[in-house]
Amino acid sequence: MAGESWFVWALIAGMAAIAFLTRAVFILPGSHLRLPPTAERVLRYAPAAAIMAIIVPDIALVQGALSISIENPRLVGGLVAFALAASTRSVFATIAGGMLALTLVRQFAG
Amino acid sequence: MKMQREQISALREGALASAGLLVGIVPWGIVAGVAMVSAGLTQTQAVAMSVLVFAGTAQLAVLPLLVAKAPLWVMVATALVVNLRYVIYSAVLAPHFEHLPRLWRVLLSYITVDGVFALFAGSYRPEDGNPHKHWYFLGGSLLMWCAWQLSSWIGIFAGAMIPREWSLEFASTLALIALLIPLLFDRAVVCGALAAGGVALIAAKLPLNLGLLAAIAVGVAVGLAVARLGPRKEEGRV
Repeated sequence: MAGESWFVWALIAGMAAIAFLTRAVFILPGSHLRLPPTAERVLRYAPAAAIMAIIVPDIALVQGALSISIENPRLVGGLVAFALAASTRSVFATIAGGMLALTLVRQFAG
Repeated sequence: MKMQREQISALREGALASAGLLVGIVPWGIVAGVAMVSAGLTQTQAVAMSVLVFAGTAQLAVLPLLVAKAPLWVMVATALVVNLRYVIYSAVLAPHFEHLPRLWRVLLSYITVDGVFALFAGSYRPEDGNPHKHWYFLGGSLLMWCAWQLSSWIGIFAGAMIPREWSLEFASTLALIALLIPLLFDRAVVCGALAAGGVALIAAKLPLNLGLLAAIAVGVAVGLAVARLGPRKEEGRV
């Protein structure tokens, strides 16, 4: 871990700068700009696209290869989490259910 | 003296109005804390991240990439994309705070969070000259800040005691799923997200996680196209 320490600190610094600048971009200069509707759309669609693009490979790829199978614990855990998130909107149920499904598939399908 | 009392009263009013948001923020803080140490951050780094970054979605989004050893710039770019919603908030808040000294604007920028923004934007108009509304904003935001830091620290110290075999780093992916669902507010954003997921799979082999950035670009393009084709429907949420 020690060897990667500078890397994590650089990541924290970069993220801190981004987190501040995205919030300060109009507040700090005291700007009166109204965002055009298309710009606002892009700003709303991008986060959902990014989050989905992180989730899907993380649950559907096993060592870089596509694994659509009931024996892929992360895929099953992720799908269970999607169902729970959509039906309950509960963070706790989503995470607990997803982890439980992951563990069960590891136990019985591994 | 009267001025000061009114400021404190606005501060308290903001904190009270935001108290309902605590139920939502505390579980997130704990999950983010656990996920940070599970992804390999030291406790010091995790505490530094929760204080300096103070953006739960960005923190959770970057962690699976950190575990997958993505390059630094890809992770920072991802943090930027998921934080883009703050650019909208910033544009809405700017006219409210333009008369304040710079230090105030720095503080209020740093401490902006989704829930308090929504409450504030629902309660105040830029043209109403309430001189204490920034105290209201600060009251709510400070409460959220404290709740986020305390719950993150609980997660950080609890996470360090949980054995590695439990694969708790997967919790950040699951948390992202819970975060994603409320973002899918209309058909265009759903189509965009699905397209992004598909491209991310197909392009997973591209070097430097360029697949992720390609997926975001395609997702936004598809979302815009669907919004243009579909019936005109106003989406009211931020």
